[in-house]
Order: sequence, then structure tokens, then C-alpha cells
Amino acid sequence: MMDYRLTEQERALAARCLETALAKGAQKARVTLNKSCMDLIGTLNGEVDKVSRCLDRSISIALFVDGKYGSFSINRLEESALEDFIDKAIATARLLAEDRLRDLPDPARTAKDAAGGRELGLYDEACPKMDSERRLAIALGASIFKDTAPTEEWTLVSEEAEYSDSVFDTLVMDTQGLYCRHTETSFEYGVEMTITDKEGNKYSGYWWNVCPRLAGLGAEGICDRALSRAVSQIGPRSLRSGKYTCVIDSECSSKLVTPLLNALGAYAVQQNNSFLCGKLGEKVFHEGLTIRDMCRNKGESGSRLFDSEGVATTEHDIISNGVVNEYFINTYMAGKMQMAPTVEDATRPRVMPWPEPGLDRGAIMARCGDGILVTGFNGGNSNAATGDYSFGIEGFAFKDGRKTHPVREMLMTGNLVELWNNLLAAGDDSRPCKSKLIPTLAFGNVDFSGE
Amino acid sequence: MIYDRQYYLDTFRVTERDLETLAAEGLKGGGDFCDLFFENTSYRDILLRDGEVSSGGFHIDYGVGIRVLCGEKTGYAYSESTDMPSMKSAARAAAAITVGCAVGGDRRTSDHRHFGRPNPAADRYPMLQDWRTADVAAQLPMLQKLESLIRAKDTRVVKVIAMLSSQVSDILMYNSFGELKYDTRPMGSLVASVVFTQDGAIESKSVSRSFRKGGEMLTDALLKELAAQAVQGIDERFAARRPKGGRMPVVMGAGASGILLHEAMGHAFEADFNRKGQSIFSGKMGERICGKGITIVDDGTIKGNRGAVNFDDEGVPGQYTVMVEDGILTSYLHDRISAKYYGVAPTGNGRRESFRYNPIPRMRATYMESGDGTAEDIIASVKKGIYVDQFANGQVKIGEGDFTFYVKSGFLIEDGRLTMPVKDVNIIGNGPQALADIRAVAGDLAIDDGTWTCGKEQSCPVSCGIPTVLVSNLTVGGE
Repeated sequence: MMDYRLTEQERALAARCLETALAKGAQKARVTLNKSCMDLIGTLNGEVDKVSRCLDRSISIALFVDGKYGSFSINRLEESALEDFIDKAIATARLLAEDRLRDLPDPARTAKDAAGGRELGLYDEACPKMDSERRLAIALGASIFKDTAPTEEWTLVSEEAEYSDSVFDTLVMDTQGLYCRHTETSFEYGVEMTITDKEGNKYSGYWWNVCPRLAGLGAEGICDRALSRAVSQIGPRSLRSGKYTCVIDSECSSKLVTPLLNALGAYAVQQNNSFLCGKLGEKVFHEGLTIRDMCRNKGESGSRLFDSEGVATTEHDIISNGVVNEYFINTYMAGKMQMAPTVEDATRPRVMPWPEPGLDRGAIMARCGDGILVTGFNGGNSNAATGDYSFGIEGFAFKDGRKTHPVREMLMTGNLVELWNNLLAAGDDSRPCKSKLIPTLAFGNVDFSGE
Repeated sequence: MIYDRQYYLDTFRVTERDLETLAAEGLKGGGDFCDLFFENTSYRDILLRDGEVSSGGFHIDYGVGIRVLCGEKTGYAYSESTDMPSMKSAARAAAAITVGCAVGGDRRTSDHRHFGRPNPAADRYPMLQDWRTADVAAQLPMLQKLESLIRAKDTRVVKVIAMLSSQVSDILMYNSFGELKYDTRPMGSLVASVVFTQDGAIESKSVSRSFRKGGEMLTDALLKELAAQAVQGIDERFAARRPKGGRMPVVMGAGASGILLHEAMGHAFEADFNRKGQSIFSGKMGERICGKGITIVDDGTIKGNRGAVNFDDEGVPGQYTVMVEDGILTSYLHDRISAKYYGVAPTGNGRRESFRYNPIPRMRATYMESGDGTAEDIIASVKKGIYVDQFANGQVKIGEGDFTFYVKSGFLIEDGRLTMPVKDVNIIGNGPQALADIRAVAGDLAIDDGTWTCGKEQSCPVSCGIPTVLVSNLTVGGE
């Protein structure tokens, strides 16, 4: 039994780092103190294969010295080591070019409701009470390897799983009085099942869950889900290249949203390396696309009250009915771009249901009729400057709303703006365990390459 | 760099007696092997943006990872302090793996032992200018010079970001066999990201060089080489189109196309995946998996290379490992656990991101030896296909063998000639089939010295290379 949250002494140490930085010549400073503990049990084929314990502490300090700026970190938290560290950090910052745009955020914009760390209800008292017996019971209890007999179609080759529980505690303080803390527990179970079919071909299926609360983990059933994902891939074939209606499963649909959010980042926009440069306030996407940052939902994975500068998060629309409402602009970039600052990034973005609430994957496939259901991506990338993308995919062909056969060695290729303008539907079935709440999506006229 | 033994003991404030005590503590529960991995890493970066080197910093990471093995099972814990109570606590946490784990003698950890002391004369990365004591002020103008060189070469350049990162890690390893190894590992990386505009269109390009070298790597020649590469091929990139997608022959240009080997074959040759029966190459040892004349290696011995190791992270000497010889699968890539499982010597592939991770089989510099063709003849042999030479990233599904890699630029091949430039396409194939479909290999092997980082569970610096190669049938993304 162990409680690995930040202690009073450690928090006082962070405060002394700020005092030391000012005493040694910095005009302003921000300290971020991180502490985490994770216990992990890995299993292979229903037996313990690995146990590990990870205990981490580190201090990062951002220094504003004579108009110059540097960022430094260390994981040795002895006072003597820290004093020497800050000396060297200030000396290094002084070597850099002056940049008067570097500054701490306006105190009026910082979070005032996060001093305790547990305001979002993401800390489960069950975590420090976990012991090796309880962990083993979860890790081994979820296994189905020994109870899974070969069938005529397939044989289970391996079941590789990991259970872990963690505590993360973060404190951000600055010399303008900022004091923000975020404390979160996490319970996670994930498994990869590998099978062979009667021809000796291998297929793998992965499934996982993560929850801030032990009671919400539900490790049982995860191996069955992973196994069924592996089995469903037996007998794949490639389709002819062409344009298809495409349904993207909620398990992997964030792959199509992340590049949009990256393109809204101020660092990309300021460098002209974003296909959304100059698009603020414009309708760029289909009117059905609304992305809302639902960052303050209590008890939900990914919620945060402040960003890494301590700026308060707010629930708002990032993209609303296809219109770009926001770039993610921190204090520094606000000066560079001569724009008002916002927050550093999307915290817990949700693609809102369209054209109506309540649709799940099955309902969307039924509406689409025929097409390709993408259940996973295999590599690929997108061009930040143009929005052109090309992704490897795995999934199924479907007809009349029903899966017909698995597909493999296929690619979907196009441009993200065009893709999102061909939006047919956005479901209401995102997985709550994810920090990006992206549901099943459907698009028309997508180029697929295959046979 | 290899200093004397006392330097490392002093760095971590331990004695050899302490090391023996900790290894014994780890084995108290009945494990059959215990090793200690001490690390003190200093990382520094400086960044040029909008013409000024106005941000930078350094980061210090210090600690010890303690591993206890019981047959193939692993217990792992680490401490960010090297005081004895903290380290003993970590050793006891790692020893938890031994609960209920009874291991017969034939399943014990590989007992291939290497008692020799590290030999500075055989050092693969001597560091003439230690990054830790280098004059940072003198490095700032290097980034400005790099930007000037890039801008001078192309008027379409609108933005340049240049970053110099450097890292030096002092490493001390000890294990319950009594092996003591130590090593100082430098790494310097120079990256330039450039944005171009032409007639309202935007293109970007990122280029890099990374070596296990000290500050001496920063030469005018390196800056000029990087600047030239940064603007090379931009005309083609603005003119590039998406090809028509589908299956076609693919000519992999020499150098960075080695990503094909890394994704399509290298991961599937890592012995942990094979030991667990998950790899598509499980049970194929000794079998022909591609044509005669094809030899694929994983090499930790290239001096100054990003994937070079004097010792891997289990204290096993770095080696040149032939995975495929004349078309026959001859070796997996082993750590100590898999080596014992297969009854072979470890190949020096037990690597890790840092003391926070246990070692697992990882690649180093993976490449194909030269063949006897020429690049010109190979291109001329293709009626309709694609030539690729610059890449962003790749991925593989180990069991199915399906791999992909993302092509930043290349050309269509029509009637044996390079014609329309292409860009931003993913290519997908199946590892064993792609190996079998290699039809020609040129004699122009090149190793790419970019900042390649493998992301198998942990990040690990690697490199790759290949001669010009023709793969007769891969699926290319397109319209």
C-alpha cells in the first residue's frame, strides 16, 4: 500500500526553486513538479511474465532572464543538486538571443479553481490500497488463454496482456502567484491476441480499457473482444482500387481528427506550415462538423482545468458547423502572431453527433449501404502544409449495411479538407476512456487503393 | 567514449561491493539473474526560429534500473536515487517476479559471459569535444549559418527552424555473473525544417543528421551538406502529383529506403516476437525467405553511427549480425532472454530507451549488403511503377507481416524513365511477400544518417540503409 502523491515537502521544494531562480537573477519563472507511480503486471498466455514498478519525480523550470528564455528539467530533487541546476540554467538562458515576447500568462487568465488537485474527481482512493494480490487477481482473472480451445478455423497462439495502476500528480507554480495542481489515478488493461488460421496465417487483435476509477475498468471481457477482433480478420482480400463510401470505427477515428487539431496549433500556423493558415473564422469543413472541447467534465479521462502554462481551460467549440473558431495560441505565440492568446491545445475534444444524436456504427453502416468499414490504421501520415494524407487501413467490406469480408493491404488517400467536406455522418458512440471523444464517422467518395 | 572504471563508480556514487550487494538483494527471492543499469544523461537543445536562437535548455536524467529474471520472466524497477536504501528497495520490487516462479537449469538466463573490461582502443564513438563542456555560445552561430546557407540556395524559403540537440549518457552495467561494463554514449543531432512558398502553394521539408559523436561533428561541411539537402528536390515537390493508386513495381532508392528493411523484416526478426510465436517469421530459421544474393544485416559496429553500441544495454558487446545470408534466414536479433530460449549467443541487441525500461531485442543499423546491379539498369527495367527516395515514417503488424511506410517524395517510372514527381503516398505490403518479390539489388549501398528513432514500446535510436532495390509488387496509395 502506497500513496505516491506530492508531499508537502516536495511542494515546498518547488516554491523554493522559484525563490532561488529570482534570487539568482531571473525576473520571472515557472516550475512544474511531476510525480508518478505505476505498478504493472504483464501476462503471457495466462501466466505472469513481467512485474514492474515505476516511481518518477522531476522538476521542470522555465526561466525568463533579462529578456531571454530557457526551459530546463532535472530528476534529482536534492536541494544541493537543484541549486547547482538553477545556476547553470540561468547561465545557459543568458547565452541565448533576447526574445521580449516570452512571458508568463496574464494572471487573469490562469486557473483559480485547481489548487487542490482533486477538483475533477479523477483520484480514486482505491489506487493506493492496491497490492500485488489484487493486481494479480485482475491480471490473471481477465485471461482466457487456458480456456480457449482450438476451433476448426483457428488456433490461439498467444495472449499478451498488461494490467497497470498509476497515480500522476502535477503541480504548476509561477512567480506571479499561479498555483495549479492536477491529481489523477488510472487503471488500465490491454491485451493482444494472436491466432493462426488453418493455413498457418497469423492475425492479431487488440483491445483495451482505461479508467480513472477501478470500478470502471471492467477487465473481464477485454480478452474476448480482442480475440473476436483477431478472428474476424480471417480470410482477408483486397478490393479493387476506386472511390468508396467509408465508415471509420470509433476505435480508430481519432486518426482523422488529430491532423485537424495539429493544423490549428499556433506553432504550425505561425510557421506557415499548416493547411489551416488564414482560415480563422472561415467555413472550411462540412456544416456537420462541430468539435467541442469538453475539458471540464468531472470524473472523465482527459479532463483538465488548466494547460501547461496554468491557463484555465473552458468548454467551447473549436470548430462549429464547419467554421474554424480557434487557433491554439499560448502566451508566446500570441505575441508573435499579434493575436489574443487562447489555450495551448485541445484538451478533451469531442466530435459532436451529426445529423442527429444517437447513431452508432451499425446505424451509420445501414444508412451508408455499401462501402468499406475501417477498424484500424496501419501507418501513414499527412502533409501538415497541404492536408494531403495517405493511410494504410484494415477493416471490412460491407454491403447493405452488413460486413461481408475483411480487407487488407489497402490504403486510403486524399486531402483532409476534401475528406471532411464529404462527411456523411458522425455517430454518438465515442469511447469514454479516450481523451479524444471521436465517434464512428462516415465519408463519401474516398479513394482507396488495392488490387 | 570509454573512461576508466572509477569515473563511472564516482558518477553513480557506488562501489563494486555495493553492486555485488544489490545483485545479491535482487536474487534473494530465487531469481536466476539480476542486472543493474546506471544512467546519467545530460541532454541539451538550442532552437533557431525566425532568425534567432532564442530558446533552448538542458535536461538531466539520472537513475538506476534493476532487473531480475526468472527464466523468461522479468521483474523490473528503478530508482532515481543511487543511495543504497532506494536501490535495495528497487531490487526487492524487481524480485517480486520470483514469487511462484520455479525455473529449471535449462531455462536459466543465457550464460554466455563477457568478462573483458571495456577497451578504449575499440571505442566506436570517441568524443573529441564533450557536449557537456562544449561552449554553447559558440554553437549558436552554427544554426544561424545553417539558416543563411539554406536561404541563400532558394528564394522561395519563407521559414526555417533549426535545432541542435546533444546528449551524453554515462552508463554503468553490472550483473550477477560478475560482468562489469561501462560506456559513455554521445549523440548529436542537427535538424532543419524549411517552409517554401511558390505561387500561393506551400511545401515543407525536414532534413537531419545524427551521429554518435561529440561537438566535433559540427563542421562547415556538415552545414553545407544539410543545407543542400534541405532545398534539393523542391521544384519536383511543387510539381508533384498523386499517382494513380494500386499494385505496381516499386524501386527503392539507395539510403533512406532502408526503412523497408526496418519495417518489413527487421521487427519480424526480433526474437521476442518469435519466441512468443507472434512473428510471421516464427519457425522459419534456416529457410529460404528471399532470393539468392540477398544479405540483410543488423550492425552495431559502425563507428559514429546512430545505431552503434560498444555494448548493448545488457553489457553484451555490439556486433555485426547477419539475419539473412544469401536469401536464407540465419539469425534473429537476440537479447539474453531469447538467446537462452533458442540456445544461441546473445547478438548484442538488448537495448532500452533509458534506465526506466527493461531491455528488449531492438535493431541498431539495419541494412542490405550491395548486390551486383546498377540503379540505372533497375529503373530501366520497369515499364510502369514508382521510384521512392524520401520517407517520413513506417509501421508493421508483426503477426500478419503487413507493413507500411510513408513516402515524402519520388517519381513515376514510365517505360524505364523517371517522369512525373510524386509525393505524400503511403505504400503497403506484406513482409515475407515483399522479400520474395525483390527482383534486383544494385551495388550502391548507402546508410542514411537521419534522426531515425524506432518506437517499439520504447524509443531507441537506430539507422538504416539499402542499395537501390526493385520490389516487383507493392500497393501504392493514390487517386
